[in-house]
Amino acid sequence: MNKLPMIFVGVLITFASSWLGLVVYPFLALGHMQPAPDEDTGGYFPPTTTGLAVAGQRVYAANGCIYCHSQQVRPAPLSTDIAKGLGPRRTVARDYLRVQPAFLGTMRTGPDLTNIGVRQEEANWHHRHLYDPRSVTEWSIMPSFRFLYKLQLIQGQPSDDAVKGLTGPLAPPAGYEVVPTDDAKALVAYLLSLKRNYPLPEAPLPPAKK
Amino acid sequence: MTAGLVLIIGGLVFLSGSAVLAFCWAIRDGQFRNLSAAPLTIFDKDEPVGLPTDRFPSRK
Amino acid sequence: MKPQSLLSSINPANEPDALASYERAEIDASTRGPVLLFFGSAVFWLLVGSVLGLLAAWKMTHPGLLDSLGFLTFGRIRPAHLNAVIYGWASSAGIGTGLWLMARLCRVPLMHSKLLVSAAVFWNLGVLVGVLGILAGDSRSIEWLEFPGYATPILFVAYACIGIWAVIMFRYRKPGHVYVSQWYLLAAFLWFPWMYATANILLVWQPIQGSAQGAVNWWFAHNVLGLWFVPIGLASAYYMIPKVIGRPIHSYYLAILGFWSLAVFYSWNGMHHLIGGPIPAWMISASVVASVMMFIPVVTVAINHHMTMRGHFDALQWSPTLRFTVFGAMAYTIVSLQGISMAIPSLNTLTHFTDYTIGHAHFGLYGFFSMMMFGAMYYIVPRLVGWEWPSATMIRWHFWLVASGVLLMVGALTIGGILQGLAQYDPTVSFRSSLDYATPFRWLRGISGFLLLAGHLVFATLFVQMLLKVGRRKEGPALFAAPADHKPEAAV
Ligand code: HEC
Repeated sequence: MNKLPMIFVGVLITFASSWLGLVVYPFLALGHMQPAPDEDTGGYFPPTTTGLAVAGQRVYAANGCIYCHSQQVRPAPLSTDIAKGLGPRRTVARDYLRVQPAFLGTMRTGPDLTNIGVRQEEANWHHRHLYDPRSVTEWSIMPSFRFLYKLQLIQGQPSDDAVKGLTGPLAPPAGYEVVPTDDAKALVAYLLSLKRNYPLPEAPLPPAKK
Repeated sequence: MTAGLVLIIGGLVFLSGSAVLAFCWAIRDGQFRNLSAAPLTIFDKDEPVGLPTDRFPSRK
Repeated sequence: MKPQSLLSSINPANEPDALASYERAEIDASTRGPVLLFFGSAVFWLLVGSVLGLLAAWKMTHPGLLDSLGFLTFGRIRPAHLNAVIYGWASSAGIGTGLWLMARLCRVPLMHSKLLVSAAVFWNLGVLVGVLGILAGDSRSIEWLEFPGYATPILFVAYACIGIWAVIMFRYRKPGHVYVSQWYLLAAFLWFPWMYATANILLVWQPIQGSAQGAVNWWFAHNVLGLWFVPIGLASAYYMIPKVIGRPIHSYYLAILGFWSLAVFYSWNGMHHLIGGPIPAWMISASVVASVMMFIPVVTVAINHHMTMRGHFDALQWSPTLRFTVFGAMAYTIVSLQGISMAIPSLNTLTHFTDYTIGHAHFGLYGFFSMMMFGAMYYIVPRLVGWEWPSATMIRWHFWLVASGVLLMVGALTIGGILQGLAQYDPTVSFRSSLDYATPFRWLRGISGFLLLAGHLVFATLFVQMLLKVGRRKEGPALFAAPADHKPEAAV
């Protein structure tokens, strides 16, 4: 029975230690991490993102894409993420330097989006898909985000930024066009910026197989 | 960044400090002395050990 | 001046720490306002949360359902559901239970109830602002911390009142032993602000960089479960089980050991949500080890509750409190062992990004914690309003609806999640099949949501009837008559 005080002290120290280890340590160690210089171009990895893409992070957060999409590629022997083509290499802490918040995610109801900017480089594809996912991928259960778009009457010439090639039940009726709001444009800019295909000292790209 | 650091360190000192104090108090107060009587403290004269204190309401 | 000291001097035979029944009734009555307020708002948020959850569940099988408006999109309904049930239902019910238990175990009438009433008002305001903020598109998308930055300070104000109250209450308690439930409660009341403040400062107000956020996020999100809900739930179980069947807890030593080993190991657990993720490997390994060590507190609690119940399982037939509490206690054991297995990396790769995790979370928060809270409320509310629950049949309906609902939900998500995980693991299988495998199970989960909602409506009706005093006056100040068909046993 008189061991109890010992247990008590041990426990306290351990709880504080978890706080030190899991909160204070990452705060100090990862908090000051810097981008890695890229010798070839004099730039940095991860590359800076445009203001629009940064704004897109807010839209991504506001609409809860994170509840269906993860943004992390786990290393090879532990998982088959790389074999599944989610990315050329695992993701590491430095990859998330410029995102706020880090959308690591815990669900893959939809595919991982770490490298969606590599897989789908075309803005119009993203707009079509966000406007009506099932018109692009017929079996999709992704919700339509058409509340981020405006349906408007075509006045003379169709607008430059109107979404092209929309089909299916939600396609605009004749004489109308679908135009992305600023939020939708920012979101797509953000999605296009998601490219973790650059090398980092701690996570080099695998040698190219030819 | 520094504001966060101050908050963190301050919080650590304050909270673990108070936890250690609580622990010292518990020993001094003899909280760990009589563990076989302790579980009886939730029973009283009129709700003694052996008396069930809950049941489904009886039907009208 | 205090009635109890006067009483004990008039009648020395009355031991100092034994309570006369009217004193206990007086203590119970002193908690009436704040506790009923917390319980009432908990029931309200339970209904709101169930509707939101049901909608989110059906959106998974019917993506076109109500999808034209932004505030009804899946990505907002789901965090609104989570936060409504975590902060609105579970925390309020837990705080209410904690206040009542604290007053009873400190053996003094509740003081400063105005402080607590304002805490309840602020708490509800905070949750309301937070949930509306999420629906309006201000969600932070940091799991378990989605509330926008303008809602959390309101919750802090509320929380400060509760924390101050808990300390005052403890200071003024009657001398004597501090029961294990009090340890759990005090710890929970102190840990929660620590975690919540740390997480909010580092993630919402002064966000730290990059993937360190992931670490802080999961340190918090897992500790809310383990160091806020689990201690409150167990505090309730450690009081309700012995009190209802009239038998002291089997081993007090195990109880204290369980408490402290929980604190040691649980606080390190969270990083198993990031296995393979972009944070330093040693943090993840430490979490995996700590998760496996959770075996100790879980098994001590399981043994203790089982041994206390042994020979008294027939009591499940006549006590609603016990029925819910024992369901919760069993779920606690199972869900914790499941959680341990999920931290093992090779299993984690399969289950990590799938519905399996959702099933696990519901098993913990519903199967364990919510059932505990229902049990506690069935015990506490009659003692506050001096009225008996109006209908045994409705209590039975409530129990069977929610018990079958949660088991169906967890079962469906578990199987569906495993299939989904196997499909996502195999590089030769298309992504689409992982959806197709999970779909029938998501249908089942949608159906289970109706069972739960129906159960909650039954419970809400009962609760409102209690407030309106439909039914019969309760016999005796703070005690149900012992069931006629059950002979109280001799003291153990
Ligand atoms: C209910 C879950 C769900 C939500 C919420 C969701 N998605 Fe999806 N998403 C899916 C599913 C399922 C797929 C796969 C089928 C498809 O391509 O539509 C997908 C596919 C995608 C793809 C194509 C991926 C690829 O590899 O081809 C992108 C891009 C995408 N989603 C972006 C988003 C964005 C941006 C949001 C938030 C505004 C979002 N998703 C919200 C379920 C969801």
